[in-house]
Amino acid sequence: MACKGSTMQHHKGRKTALFTLVGCLTFSSLAGCTAKPPKDPDELADYKAANDKFEPFNRKMFNINMWVYHKALRPVGRFWQKHVPQPIRTSVATLNETWREPAVFFSDVGAGRPRRAGDAFMRFLLNMTTAGFYDVAKHLGYKQHETDPGMVLALWGVKSGPYLFLPGLGPSSFRDAAGYALGQGLTPINYVPSGYGLISFNWGYNILGTFNTFADNTDQLDQLEHQSLDPYAFMRSAWQQQRQSQIDALKADHRATTPDWY
Amino acid sequence: MMLRQLTRRTILGAASLLALAPMLAFAAPSSEEASAFVNDFGGKLVAVMNSNTTLDKKRDALLPLLRQNVDVQGIGRYCLGRFWRQATPEQQKIYLELFEDVLLNAVTARMGEYENISFRLVDNVASPAGQKVTLQISRPNHPSVMMTAVIDGEPPKVVDLYGEGASMRMTQRSDYTAYLTRHGYKVQALIDALKHQLGRQ
Repeated sequence: MACKGSTMQHHKGRKTALFTLVGCLTFSSLAGCTAKPPKDPDELADYKAANDKFEPFNRKMFNINMWVYHKALRPVGRFWQKHVPQPIRTSVATLNETWREPAVFFSDVGAGRPRRAGDAFMRFLLNMTTAGFYDVAKHLGYKQHETDPGMVLALWGVKSGPYLFLPGLGPSSFRDAAGYALGQGLTPINYVPSGYGLISFNWGYNILGTFNTFADNTDQLDQLEHQSLDPYAFMRSAWQQQRQSQIDALKADHRATTPDWY
Repeated sequence: MMLRQLTRRTILGAASLLALAPMLAFAAPSSEEASAFVNDFGGKLVAVMNSNTTLDKKRDALLPLLRQNVDVQGIGRYCLGRFWRQATPEQQKIYLELFEDVLLNAVTARMGEYENISFRLVDNVASPAGQKVTLQISRPNHPSVMMTAVIDGEPPKVVDLYGEGASMRMTQRSDYTAYLTRHGYKVQALIDALKHQLGRQ
């Protein structure tokens, strides 16, 4: 046991060192990849609206992401979309949503939204009766919703910071990247220790989830590439607006916790 | 000092009222007008999309509908942003023609996937940009999609669309602005790119 514990600690230590290294590399790269604010007032207004101080770095990351997408993720996603029946794809998507519910629940609690927290709690409880594969909760009136720690930080008044595009993570901001890390900490599947049988489930969950996400999003990504002149800027603007609208919806959600019939 | 401030405030107030005056001609439609407009336009769109005809014929039927009910010129101008003033009248004309085709392509690109659709109005709220009417679009074997149309002007027209919380015209404007910024701020470069996008080169 002690040996297992020390192996886990060693593993954790290695993980932390790796994250620190990636973090340092990212920030040193960011430091050298800052776009200078333009002097022309109109241009400056556009620069401020984009909130993308690290655009040169972000564009490089976007290009890497799209390269991986075209070389690996898109073909796999297409294969998945073509050969895996819709009910199985829906189940995998539900599984991903269900296992994320604890993070949604804690975020709703952090946001001070008891009705949403109750919905997330009930969704986890009900859907776990099918190990998360079937959305029982939806049929009982608990529809899926998204709340993540990034949205809670926004509600607490934390500024978003500049736009950030990270390979694998996609469009984000400094606040949302921190929120993502917190969200990972609140997701129970990430605590499955190595050496146990469940690790294969964890891998399966993550890999299948990724395939499923890409299978569901290849059409949108293809459309984005075909119908925009600058897909990077298009995605940045759409994501920033969408994120703000999610935060606004969370702010405006003051539903009572009592049932509708009360 | 107070008098100076008051005078400045009055002038500013008057100036902003004057700025609003032309908007009276573009009075926003009432909630009922906006709903009736969306029901009528949406019904016609759905009839075209659900019809058993070829994609080309559907496209031909859509064009007059879009011209009549969507403020294509206004959206086009908005999308070009500050570069509209920089463009020559000839460039403005060509750009708007191309923009109309880009819009039509965007609508028809995935039209094959939108068959046997139906819609219902779920919300209607006033906003500074116009009346925001939210629709729930349903298709067989697919989750329903929510979309918000912004209706403004007299006669009422669609001036913007929102999907997943993002404004179509604002996103398109960011796309064009970024492209122009990276291509020497030349409107001609954008026109060439739009031609290329439409397969006209």
